[in-house]
Amino acid sequence: MSALLAKAWRDHRRTLIGFGLGLVFTQLLYAAFYPSIKESAADMNAFMERLPEALRELYGNDFASPEGYLRGQLFGELGLILFLVVAIGAGARAIAGEEEARTLDLLLSTPVRRAEVLRAKAIALVGLMTVLGVIAFAAVLVVGPPFDLTVGAAPMAAATLMLVLLAIAFGSIALAIGAWTGHRSTAIAITTAVAVLMYILNALGGTVDALEPLRPLSLLRWYMVPLLLSGGLEWENVLVLAGTSIAAYVVAHARFTRRDLAS
Amino acid sequence: MGADVPVIVAEHLTKFYGSSRGVVDLEFEVHAGEVFGYLGPNGAGKSTTIRTMLDFIRPTSGKITVLGLDPTTETPELHRRVGYVPGEFGLYERLTGREYLKTFTALRAGAGADRVEDLARRLALDLDVRIKDLSHGNKRKVGLLQAFMHEPDLLVLDEPTQGLDPLVQQEFYAMIDEARERGATVFLSSHVMPEVERVCDRVAIIREGRLITVDDVGDLKAKALRTVEFHFEGPVPASAFASLASVVDAEQRGDSVLMTVRGPLDEVVKEAARHPVVNIETREPSLEDIFLEAYRNGAEP
Repeated sequence: MSALLAKAWRDHRRTLIGFGLGLVFTQLLYAAFYPSIKESAADMNAFMERLPEALRELYGNDFASPEGYLRGQLFGELGLILFLVVAIGAGARAIAGEEEARTLDLLLSTPVRRAEVLRAKAIALVGLMTVLGVIAFAAVLVVGPPFDLTVGAAPMAAATLMLVLLAIAFGSIALAIGAWTGHRSTAIAITTAVAVLMYILNALGGTVDALEPLRPLSLLRWYMVPLLLSGGLEWENVLVLAGTSIAAYVVAHARFTRRDLAS
Repeated sequence: MGADVPVIVAEHLTKFYGSSRGVVDLEFEVHAGEVFGYLGPNGAGKSTTIRTMLDFIRPTSGKITVLGLDPTTETPELHRRVGYVPGEFGLYERLTGREYLKTFTALRAGAGADRVEDLARRLALDLDVRIKDLSHGNKRKVGLLQAFMHEPDLLVLDEPTQGLDPLVQQEFYAMIDEARERGATVFLSSHVMPEVERVCDRVAIIREGRLITVDDVGDLKAKALRTVEFHFEGPVPASAFASLASVVDAEQRGDSVLMTVRGPLDEVVKEAARHPVVNIETREPSLEDIFLEAYRNGAEP
């Protein structure tokens, strides 16, 4: 591992430990609640029936099966938010955070190219989200079964991959905005706003006919929560999410390797 | 690299940030093995010049060549041979000094790893303290250490002694002297004149983005104004001195005549010798005087 990559990876150590433990803990908590949710499955599903169609569209109608339960929390709610928060934060910190903290000058005064720094930061971001994905995957498979929260390893792996890809896509957008502007808070604010708008667009797009044509603009549309855990991977969806990350990286590279750095 | 090849060459170097001025049409050369002082107040363009040398910013027009390399394309080759202390910098606060410097020696393929302990001892820096717990001065030492540890061919130092206590400053001057002895070149920006006088062979003075002087420190001083005060036994009119070519200004104060002289004192001493002299006080022009004069005139002193 190159010195640059080792450095970029070490920058995530605290995030990894903190959010990794958080993930395990929340999965344990959610799993522990599952039996009582399942017992009142009829009530839960009746409750779901009364929810607006847009929300049902997001999570599916069934909240009581293990798949539906996981779609509702890990993949559709708390877990999803956690992954996006970590990815957007890490992406924004990668370049803009160092630039604002004035650590970037010294880092770049060593025999490295800006492109190499950007690449190491991007790889570390992918690594961070992948490891968190593996932790989430393992946590569900380990702490789920004692509470009857049982899902297959293959669909779980496919769903986790989609979650990781979605998080990396938003993280890459934050990284690109940060690498372009040099402002961490700008990168976080814009990316978060984009994520929220995409979420709303995807939610409304399912029910409001006028918005349906715009729905493909939302990354959440390609993430497809209702289909997670129900089968294998849709390669089209994988490509859209991965392609977004690659496009963001190309934009970041084009600008960051040429622009003036803030002093 | 031969001794006659300049280490830094600025050719019409110009940098604008949008419409605001960075530096304008800079022309200078820094020779191999010299300590080159770069003087100017804050905002004059010192850091702008330095940041083009390391490719942190790109010239608007003109160019700068460092160690015979183009910073914009041959960046890693250049940075391998340069040690840099920014005017203001941040460090990875959660690391200890030792961890930080280990990261930097790793980024430099191990160069300087064997000198870290020695330099830390000389600068009185505790490497086991987390950087966030270090004082401002101690953080500056970490910055100095990473610049000197790999014994670079060129040291680019932007206001390097700010925040250092006097003892550490002396050690820093010794490190500059050692760098010079092993043939390294030093580009030192500063607004601390005694420091520049202490360590620099040549200086450039920059004002509002433009160079107004590039000269030897000695020549600058020889050409500069100095203050001379003669104490006589009785009153002597200032007019006797004011008419001399080398005297810029003369003023009688009781039994004394206070004057400002440019160049050799010969004429003045001979005129004064016509009267009974009690005492002579003369003050070497400090670089500060030269600097201030150059600044007032905005031209060659």
